[in-house]
Amino acid sequence: MWHIAKRELYDNLNSLRFALTTVLLLALMLTNAVVHLHKHPKRIQKYRASVTKSLADLTVRTDSLYNIAQQGPGLLYKKPSPLRFCADGGEAFLSDVVGGAFLWSISGSSGRLKGFWRLDYPAATPNLINIRPDVTKVDWGFIIGYILSLIALLFTFDSISGEREHGTLRLMLANPIPRHTVLIGKFLGALISIIIPLSLAMLMNLLVISTSSDVHLGANAWGRLGIIFFIAILYLCLFLALGLLVSARVQRRAVSLVILLLAWVIFVVFMPSTLAAIVSGFSSPMSTDELWKRRGQLYEARWERYDTHLPKESEPAKRMQFEGEHVIQEAQEQERLSHEHLAQKTTQAQLARTITRISPVAIVQHLLESFAGTGFNRHLQFIENTQRYARQFREFVADTDRADPESLHFIGVREGMSQKPVSSDAVPKFEDTLSLSKDFNAAAVDLLLLTLFVVVLLSGAYLAFVRVEV
Amino acid sequence: MTLILIRRELLDNLMTFRFAAATFIMLLLVVANTFVLIIDYERRLTGHNDAAKMHQRQLQEKITYSAGMDRLSADRPPNPLSIFNVGFDKRLGNEVQVSHGVVPSLWDGYMHGSSNPFMDMFASMDIVFIFEVILSLFALLFAYDAFAGEYEAGTLRLVLTHPIGRGYILFAKYIGAMLCLLAPLLISLLLAVILLTTSTSISVNTDDFLRIGGIIFTSVAYLSVFYLIGLLISAATRRTSTALMLSMFVWGFLVLVYPNVILTVIPRSEAPDALRTSAFNRIESIWDTFDRERKHYLVTDDFPGEDWGYELRGWGSRSAYFWDNPRTLMYTYNSIMDFEGFGEEDEPKMPHAQKHFGFLGAQTIDAAGRTWLIRKPALEEIFIQPANVERVWLKLSPVGLYDAATQAWAGTDLLGIRDFFHAARQYRQSVINYLYDHKVFESRQWFAGDKGAADWSGLPQFSFQRDDISTNAKRALPDVCLLLMINVVLFIVIFLIFVKSEV
Repeated sequence: MWHIAKRELYDNLNSLRFALTTVLLLALMLTNAVVHLHKHPKRIQKYRASVTKSLADLTVRTDSLYNIAQQGPGLLYKKPSPLRFCADGGEAFLSDVVGGAFLWSISGSSGRLKGFWRLDYPAATPNLINIRPDVTKVDWGFIIGYILSLIALLFTFDSISGEREHGTLRLMLANPIPRHTVLIGKFLGALISIIIPLSLAMLMNLLVISTSSDVHLGANAWGRLGIIFFIAILYLCLFLALGLLVSARVQRRAVSLVILLLAWVIFVVFMPSTLAAIVSGFSSPMSTDELWKRRGQLYEARWERYDTHLPKESEPAKRMQFEGEHVIQEAQEQERLSHEHLAQKTTQAQLARTITRISPVAIVQHLLESFAGTGFNRHLQFIENTQRYARQFREFVADTDRADPESLHFIGVREGMSQKPVSSDAVPKFEDTLSLSKDFNAAAVDLLLLTLFVVVLLSGAYLAFVRVEV
Repeated sequence: MTLILIRRELLDNLMTFRFAAATFIMLLLVVANTFVLIIDYERRLTGHNDAAKMHQRQLQEKITYSAGMDRLSADRPPNPLSIFNVGFDKRLGNEVQVSHGVVPSLWDGYMHGSSNPFMDMFASMDIVFIFEVILSLFALLFAYDAFAGEYEAGTLRLVLTHPIGRGYILFAKYIGAMLCLLAPLLISLLLAVILLTTSTSISVNTDDFLRIGGIIFTSVAYLSVFYLIGLLISAATRRTSTALMLSMFVWGFLVLVYPNVILTVIPRSEAPDALRTSAFNRIESIWDTFDRERKHYLVTDDFPGEDWGYELRGWGSRSAYFWDNPRTLMYTYNSIMDFEGFGEEDEPKMPHAQKHFGFLGAQTIDAAGRTWLIRKPALEEIFIQPANVERVWLKLSPVGLYDAATQAWAGTDLLGIRDFFHAARQYRQSVINYLYDHKVFESRQWFAGDKGAADWSGLPQFSFQRDDISTNAKRALPDVCLLLMINVVLFIVIFLIFVKSEV
């Protein structure tokens, strides 16, 4: 078997395609590294500046607990991933901020009651003044998903059909070697001869990136990169197996090339977007117009309740309690509506993502996004982080108020809350985190699907090759 | 003899598996994608209609002109030809506010968002993109063995023993293969057009058919470029396997690598910040002068006090603010007064207020006009020029040329989108003329609706008609000509190689 693999390897290493593959992969990977080094420091800078500003705004509000609770902790920002060069993940279409919305005054006449801070999920505003031509991003996802799969097919389309045309296959099979050994030998030969330029290109890429002082890759990031390398090889195996399968079934190598290219075009280029477009028609979230209409309805209904049920002025404690509840419930209602809207949008996108998994390139992109800490799942994780933080923040407000013996404990009204200034260090700070274990959960299905594809295609190739007549 | 050769080439190609596969795949992809794109277009059209209706409703609800002028906007309908090449149709703003205080431009536009922004993560593909990627691949697959294959099989020598010029052989090969390649192209395009015409929501007129004709012609020229590239490689390498490999990598480079890499590699010619700052400072000074004159008027007029609202105590809301954005060099002043009724003591103040708003309206329009004179060239230099440089770099690949030309035909290129904003500016002018003609600024309805609400029925309506076909042709032809030129050059080079080669 090793003989066959070695022979294949030598054959490939001497070929034109090996040289061109090396050049192409190196060129793409180096471009990727240069672009990342150019853009990443800017992203980090922007993130740090925004977080600092958010904190500075918070310190201004520490004069009273009411101000902090009402105006909230400021905008919450998504931490940019240092591995963005692995998968861009359509980050441009995902918002990097979750905002707290509050209304300045929700009391018509007195101006005493103010809306409380609540989570709000702004859509990423597209850059409408960007009139530059745009093309797909050269990230690892593109290089692995599109280029590497094509290369894999170009390395295998003639591995069996070519030998059959030359007659060398008959010669080889005349020796006492089982057929599966021949197949595995060919597979390993092609695999190794692509892994060589691939690892070379990846290492060059990482070398350029890690020598720069601007981008810091920790142990965690290197672990993720290792997993990404493993995924790339798994994906490579899938296309090698496909190439071998078609090559074994088809008599002539030209025909096998045409069939493989067609398969590549359909599965890699067209499937993801077309399926997503079709699926997007199945469900549609409420429009922004409708969202605002419902916001208005909620608001009016609450005010009607306020006007009819407000206790008399002679009972100030009862009145304060009622007003506090009014404010808190208003914020809860509106936040629930925001959640509902977000959930509808998420469901639609999730469905589309699930369906596009028929295409291996979508699977590999999802996987790369998971481990690079970018993309849709990461966005959902970020939103979850902000929601957890919101709970923590509200608990802090309640605890601080409870700790003050002078307070009347009516959260929502200025006079009903603790009047003491709050130390800005005591307020919990939002820190967005990336956790590997969560990524693994999200990625497990994709990983299993990819492995399944590889196994099915490899056994298909084996069956086709065993039954083939030489 | 030439005819016989052409027929031979044609039959040779038609009988092959690759022809069947090419036709089948093209049909499948184009029909499936057209279907998806039409759904997408219809969704965008519904979004546009909803937004336009909403804007109309919001306008009608306003009882004063000053509040209404804050709500007036122009909406850009989606372009039906964006199905062929989407260009900027989905990317740039599709509505813009039309107010007397600011001259609308591309940089003031915004998007009426009704769709799910998460869905934008999945890139959509237009028909031209399919041709760009797949058709070029097919052209190379048809060409790689045209000479190399015949060398290897020895049939080339046989053909050359006949008394025919080598030019004829080359010509016959070219025509034969091109006819074969045209079949999948034309059939799939015709099917797309049929789907387009059967859809009830899309109305295509004569000009649109001519535009589609322009797209088809450009597609043929593009196809021919890639076929000739394949032929060149085939004639130069003489071996099918080498020719095939080289063709694949040339395809990968031109179609996938170059457009992606070039934009990140070329230095971004950012316009200097100094330019932006100086333009903004000049604009700021215009509005400073405006503000001084405004205050001066309030001080010197017959009415005591400097309140721009003339201390009116009626029922309603009022707000006035300066609004600026240094990034897009935007600066404007807006004062809105929306009163439903007044008390007795307010009545004597009315003539003064009316006179003031008449003065303010004319001043605002004048300042906005002068701002635009500075803003227009500055925006051009800051935004348009760097983008145009990048576009030129992209055009070094035939893919870029093809993309640019088809965008121009479809009217979804930058110029096509800017036409809309141009129309919005004209609309603003006609609205202003209407306001002047009806003395709206000096009228009581400008700030109060108590004695008859603002009458919106006479206001000119905005409608955006795309320019006729000649404009598209003028924008597309340079790129189409370049494509044709590449064709001719490639053909001559191949001819020279073929004539000088030994069989």
